Amino acid sequence: MSNVQIELTGVDKHYGQFHALKDINLSIEKGTFVALVGPSGCGKSTLLRSLAGLETITGGTMKIAGEVMNDVPPRKRDVAMVFQSYALYPHMRVAENLTYSLRLKGTPKEQALAAAEEVARTTGLSHLLGRFPRELSGGQRQRVAMGRAIIRHPKAFLFDEPLSNLDAALRVHMRKEIRALHDRLGATSVYVTHDQVEAMTMADRVVVMRDGVIEQEGAPLELYDKPASRFVAGFIGSPAMNFVPAMISEDGQAVLLDLPDAPRLPIGRALEPGRRVSAGLRPEHLTVTNAETAALRLPVGVVESTGSMTYISSGTDPEITVVIHGRSPLSAGEVMGLTIAPENVHLFDVESERVI
Amino acid sequence: MDISEAPAVNSRRRGNPVSRILSSIRDGNGFDILLVAAPLVFLVLLAGLPLIYNVLMSFQQVDMFTLGAWIRPFAGFDNYISVISQPEFPLVVRNTIIFVVGSMAGQFVLGFALALFFAQNFPGAATIRGLFLVSWVMPGLVVGAIWSWILAGDFGVLNAILRSLGLIEAAIFWKSDPNFSIWAVTIANIWLGLAFNMLLLSVGLAAIPKELYEAAALDGANAWKRFLTITLPMMRPTIGAVLSLGLIGTLQQFDLFPAITEGGPANSSTVAQYWAWQMSFTLYDFARGATISVMMFVLVLFASILYVRSTRSEVRG
Repeated sequence: MSNVQIELTGVDKHYGQFHALKDINLSIEKGTFVALVGPSGCGKSTLLRSLAGLETITGGTMKIAGEVMNDVPPRKRDVAMVFQSYALYPHMRVAENLTYSLRLKGTPKEQALAAAEEVARTTGLSHLLGRFPRELSGGQRQRVAMGRAIIRHPKAFLFDEPLSNLDAALRVHMRKEIRALHDRLGATSVYVTHDQVEAMTMADRVVVMRDGVIEQEGAPLELYDKPASRFVAGFIGSPAMNFVPAMISEDGQAVLLDLPDAPRLPIGRALEPGRRVSAGLRPEHLTVTNAETAALRLPVGVVESTGSMTYISSGTDPEITVVIHGRSPLSAGEVMGLTIAPENVHLFDVESERVI
Repeated sequence: MDISEAPAVNSRRRGNPVSRILSSIRDGNGFDILLVAAPLVFLVLLAGLPLIYNVLMSFQQVDMFTLGAWIRPFAGFDNYISVISQPEFPLVVRNTIIFVVGSMAGQFVLGFALALFFAQNFPGAATIRGLFLVSWVMPGLVVGAIWSWILAGDFGVLNAILRSLGLIEAAIFWKSDPNFSIWAVTIANIWLGLAFNMLLLSVGLAAIPKELYEAAALDGANAWKRFLTITLPMMRPTIGAVLSLGLIGTLQQFDLFPAITEGGPANSSTVAQYWAWQMSFTLYDFARGATISVMMFVLVLFASILYVRSTRSEVRG
């Protein structure tokens, strides 16, 4: 038996004229945590809602646990969803919220209540079972929403930006909690977020979407190290990658940046001389060295320090941002020298924006 | 605060009483009091005093000679006893119950069904729902006149439809058959109140977040279960308000009676509010007319309390 829990083949979704999902192919193995990430309007939520059955797809096949689900109504798909607004039933107490699905199935009362107590223990809700949702804090509501999903032992968990209504500190905490829960249950999870940090830290696989298309899919660090397109390169990583228009040198071994003095960076391979490219340099891959000898010499624009990290922006157009650990003696107006390892210079085609 | 300033402030406050009141109205408590006082004066004059006068009359002997007086011979509960012992009293109570329960049930069930129907997103839903408001805009007398034609025994449209559907053999004389006359007015009243019920219930339905239905669907609830476990409990405050307002509105409904049956034949469609009017303004027996009104007022008061309670839980969410 194959280990694929969710399989999408050529999935299309149209809203009238609008093509929301374009030929989506994706297979998700049992037990993996997959993050769908992308800017708003990229189709990630539509894809998730299609998995839940809340949207019907217009083309392709969608399989969950080997069964074709295209026309199966949500209640028969056996998937659980955690909504951004939590969608707790406001007229039911926490215990009733948790046991709602069990009661619909006709589970005996004591058995349902025992299950609710068990779930409440794992989610830290034991003392709140008698409360109404309006009497809970944001984090507690979030836990009830998760508990409601867990109690069903569904074939897949679907998360629709579940942390975006929480404050920053709680969000970081819940991130770990959701991931720990996923591991403990051995669940298959699909997690939609617009926050690439959430996607990178929580997921086994990250799917980057844009305009209804999967731009790239892979392990988080794979996306970071080998972005397939300029879009992925710019989306993954914080602060974002610097992009500089550039040209391949006459010997094909280096790239000449469109900056004052046309600095030359070796690329460690040979490319067609004179080709126009876009060079991507991650802020954390640039290191500050002796300004006299460095290949890349830039005026310092702004220096911002958080104590542990220092962000230096060049006063050039396009602006180059550098991140260094610790502090920097540099100040605005000085000249800094920068180096970068050849393997860290990402090159993208100007037309197709794909990696070269 | 600088102590030397205090007397100055005090003397300024003490100043001219007229200007003090004016400044309080401009930006102090005076403005709040003014806003509350205006409607309060209106209510006391136009609702409170007539109400008290009505209650007072129900305990007095009223005849043509004492009509203009406040103080009249005290009658105790004589008027109440006399109303209850009227031969038509049981019939009026029965008619009132049929009219109130029938109207409310019809308005509510059909109104809820229509509200649910128009809550489905189909092209033109909002427009067609808007057209239903026509019944609410029309004066009761006009509605009564139209229904009077529809219900006519010999040339009425309703009989024609029922006959062509094979539901009845002979024409039903809705307005003149004592078995049907109260139902004739009830049917017209259901139509009249339908739009109001539908509108209030539509608002209640629209306030339920769509995601609750989605969550329930994913939890395994079919459409019927979603209605029972999400829609109905979430609509409880709205339903309470609609039913209470329905009771009040039905007990107030007067126009349809003179327009359709005039309470006849033989009082077979006389309800309490029409009876009270007949007592006071055709028999000039103001004491008993007032007594019937007070009895109805107690009923409406009860409904109002229910209504206030249901809207209070709406605020609490």
